[in-house]
This record gives sequence, C-alpha cells and structure tokens, in this order.
Amino acid sequence: MNPMDELTLTPSLTVTHDTIQLIAKSHRARRVLISRVVTALCLAALVISAVPLVLLLVQLVTRGASQLNTAFFTTLPQSPTIMSPNLTGGVSNAIIGTIALTVYASLMAIPVGVFAGVYLGESTSKFASVLRIVAQTMAGAPSILMGLFGFSFVVKFLHVGFSAIAGSFALAVLMLPVIAISTELSIRGVPNTLREAGLALGAKPHTISTKIVIPSALTGIVTGCMLAVARAVGETAPVLLTIGGGYINQWRPLNPVSALPLSIYINAKSEYPSERAQVWGIALVLVLFVFVVSLSARVWAARKQKRNS
Amino acid sequence: MDQNITEANSPEVLVATESRTPGSVAMSLRNVAVSFNGKTAVRDCTFDVESKKVTSLIGPSGSGKTTLLRALNRLHDLTPGAKVNGQILLEGTDIYRGDMTATELRTRVGMVFQRPNPFPTMSIYDNVISGLRFNGVKKKSMLDEIAERSLRDAALWESVESRLKVSAGNLSGGEQQRLCIARALALDPEVLLMDEPTSALDPIATLRIEELLVTLKQRVTIIIVTHNMQQASRISDDCAFLLMGEDRAGELIEFSTTQKIFNDPKDSRTLDYTLGRFG
Repeated sequence: MNPMDELTLTPSLTVTHDTIQLIAKSHRARRVLISRVVTALCLAALVISAVPLVLLLVQLVTRGASQLNTAFFTTLPQSPTIMSPNLTGGVSNAIIGTIALTVYASLMAIPVGVFAGVYLGESTSKFASVLRIVAQTMAGAPSILMGLFGFSFVVKFLHVGFSAIAGSFALAVLMLPVIAISTELSIRGVPNTLREAGLALGAKPHTISTKIVIPSALTGIVTGCMLAVARAVGETAPVLLTIGGGYINQWRPLNPVSALPLSIYINAKSEYPSERAQVWGIALVLVLFVFVVSLSARVWAARKQKRNS
Repeated sequence: MDQNITEANSPEVLVATESRTPGSVAMSLRNVAVSFNGKTAVRDCTFDVESKKVTSLIGPSGSGKTTLLRALNRLHDLTPGAKVNGQILLEGTDIYRGDMTATELRTRVGMVFQRPNPFPTMSIYDNVISGLRFNGVKKKSMLDEIAERSLRDAALWESVESRLKVSAGNLSGGEQQRLCIARALALDPEVLLMDEPTSALDPIATLRIEELLVTLKQRVTIIIVTHNMQQASRISDDCAFLLMGEDRAGELIEFSTTQKIFNDPKDSRTLDYTLGRFG
C-alpha cells in the first residue's frame, strides 16, 4: 500500500566514486579555462565598443566647451565675412526652435502613444496584434521617412508650409511607436495578480486599467516617454525637410523655425572655419539636452521605484 | 457597526448585509464542472457551504481545488476558453445564469489569494478601501470607519494605525496578507474565498492568520483551499476532498464535516490522503 515500502537500492555499482571525481576534476579545469577566455573576449568587446564613444565625447567636450559663452545661448547667428571671418554669433534661434519642436511633438505624441500602448497592453484582440506589428515596423523605419511624410502631408498637402508644426508632426510620428511599445511593455509588466485582486474586489475592467494597472506601470510609461523625447530632440532628418530654418528667434507653430541638429548640418558645410568650429559647441549643447532628459527620466524612475517597494 | 454599511449609496454594498441566518446555506454547488478549451479540469462537485462556517477544499496537486474556488466568484470569466457548468447558488441565486452581475457577485464573495497582492502604488489605507472606491463609495467618514474596522477585524490595526499613508509594500509578508484580508472584508462580503492564503508565509504568520479565520467566521462564511492537513483539521468545520481522476480531471470524492473526513471517512482514498499516504 505504502509506496515507500517498495523502494530498494540497486546494489554493486561498477562506476566508482573515484572515477566520477576524476572526470569531474578534469572537466572543471577545462570549464575554468573556457570561462576565462570567454570573459576576456567579452571584456575586449566592451572596450572596443566603448572606445569610439569615449573618443567622441572627449572631442565633443574639448572642442565644444570653448565655443560656449553667454552670447552663444542668447544671440542670433551672424554670417562671417571676408572682413571678419571669425564672426559667428550665437544659436539662440536653434535653441528656442528645438525646445518648441520638442514641446509640440511631445504634446502630440505622448497622449496618443500612451493610450495606444495601454490598448496594446490590455487588449487581446486581433486588431491589437495588427496594430502592434504596425508600431514595431514604424519604430524601425528610417527617420527620413518621417521627414518626407511631414513634408508631403503638412507642408504640401495641408498647405501649412515649412513650419514648427510640420517638424513637430514628423517628430511626433517618430516618437509615437516608441512610446506605444514602451507603454505596452510596462502595462504587460504589471503582474496579473494585481488585476485579479481588482476583479475580486468588484472592479470593472476600465477601473482596473485606470486605478491599478496604469498607476503600477507609470514609472515605465514615463521613462519610455522621456526616452522618446530624448531621441526626438536629436533627430535631424525629420526636421531637415519640414521646419524651414531661419535666423530669427521663432517658436510659433505655423512659422518656420530653426533647430540644433539643423544648425549643425548647415554650419558643418560652411566654408568658414569659425562656423565649422561652432558645430562642436552646438553638438555639445544637443548632447547635454539629451543627457539631461534621459538622466532625469532614470533618476525619477529610480526614486519612484524605491518609494513603492 | 454593521449598520453603517447599509447607509452606503452603492446597491452592491447594500445587499451585503441582507438575509443572513446562521446555520443556513451560503453557497450551493450542484454538479459544478470547470473546463478549459473543452478539457475538464474539475467536475462532479455537489455540496452545500454552510453560512458562518469554515469549509476547506483539500486534495493533492492537480485535483482542481483552486479551479473550483475561482469558479465561485467567476474569476474564470476572463480566461478565454474557460467554461463553468452546473449550478452555483449564492443565497439561492444562480451566480452564472441569474440576474446577478459578476461585479455584484464579487462584492458579495470576496477573495484572498495565495500570494499577498496589495496594490503597490497605494497606501495601506487606500488598499483597504480600494474595493469601496471601485464601487463608488466616496464619503470620507464612511471610508475611514470601514478602514479602521476592517483593519481591526484583520488584526492589523494596532501595527499600522500610525502609518496608514505608507505604501503597502513596506509591510511584511504576513502583514500584507492580513491587509489583503482587510481589503476583502471592507466590502462586508457574505463569503470569503481563500486560495492557500498561508502557503507563502512563515509558521508564525500562518498561525496568526489561522486564529484570525476562526474569529472571522462569526461574520463571514469562509471557503479555503489548503494543502496543509493540520490547517484543514484545525480551522475548518466542513471539508471537501478532491482527487484527480483517471482522465486527469479533478473530482469531488467526499464532502463531510471535518471531524468525519479526518476520523471516519466513507471513502478509503480520503483516509489514505489525510493520513499522508499519498499526495
């Protein structure tokens, strides 16, 4: 009756304890060697991938920092002439333009992207899976496509012309799938046990989404949005074809504006060394912009995470 | 204190205190079977759960205890392909085919899960009253009163009174589970379903929860799934013993008083299980 009664040991093993230990020992030695080689290879790969990045940053700081002064941030660009080849002025127009573009693009992309992501995360419908594939494809699309789309749709088809709104539209299209996908992942990361807890308390599905799931996923959602913003700030291709540029401080949606990436693109092609040198200053400001946005996203997320645990 | 609940403007909460006669039947199961995509997980469950008693569902892994328990507050509703057959009556009303919505049912039949699952973004206070808020109760004085009473009933008030606004994640596992019990009690349910509520807790926290359940049955009917034979014999009045059949579907072998199940079962398999011969 009791299954334990039937258990007996198989007698007389031909493989002895010592044989097993011997095999295990040589095996261990081999494993240790392989482990060391692979670790060294990984480390080498890390160094190789870090070197260009470090070189870039060093060059950016050494060549860019000298360009930065108050006038750089507060005055408009001036064209160097043969008489005064070192005259460059500041990039206040590009700074204002980039801020305006980022704000408009965020206002368009964040609400739509977050709602789409919540839908993707909470729905199991066929439509949602089609939408997910669309979002994933869009996220991988070259950014110049967004520029072309902004140009043909807003600039030409809607007759808005080169404008901040056309540029931020193109950037918003670029941000949208990134936000939707990161929101979806955050929503899916919320443990099902919390949804069940809500159900068991008589909460309806929409209440569970708004009161339980979204608050629990908020850290991830906000981080995803900030990273999308950081990416949009530095994008050149979408703004190249849409914002028109200009040498005045302009932020109004329907007017042409400038932007930091555009200034880099234009100045880099300049025949004056002074303007080409200024590129490093602009690039440094752009990198600092991106750095501040993504760093604050991470710091915020880390703090929030700590408070909830 | 009970009367305060009836002042709620929410109809779901109103129903909760009606028609309770000690000794009467709280829930009846008639040939209940649950299947997923046509594959039966548990079947042939027919028994009455008596009001204000602790009924435990026991049986080895795979015997369908949790599946059966989750059918009692329609938690399978959202699982694609899940189907519940037979009848489950709450105070005489068929919970699947009657005019009761799943939401109303769940405010009357609360649930505590295997692992403590307080809402991590909410404070202790917000966790306790979350069920009331989900169902439209807004009055601050009422929420405060129910929060205190529920926490007291869950034997948690003394230790959290001074830190009600602190995140629920700061509590220990045992405290979190008692918070989940308080959260379920806040809706003043008629029945409380518990799915191995102590399996993730240490022995001392387990003991405290067990003591709590014995006290709680004065207010609420408790149906508890447990793997722990001692627990079932210590705290339950009635026992349902389930076992996996030949086709791997769980079925009810025996339902009786705990005393009978452990000392004088009708089925030899029940005796083998309670004596620890398998499972």
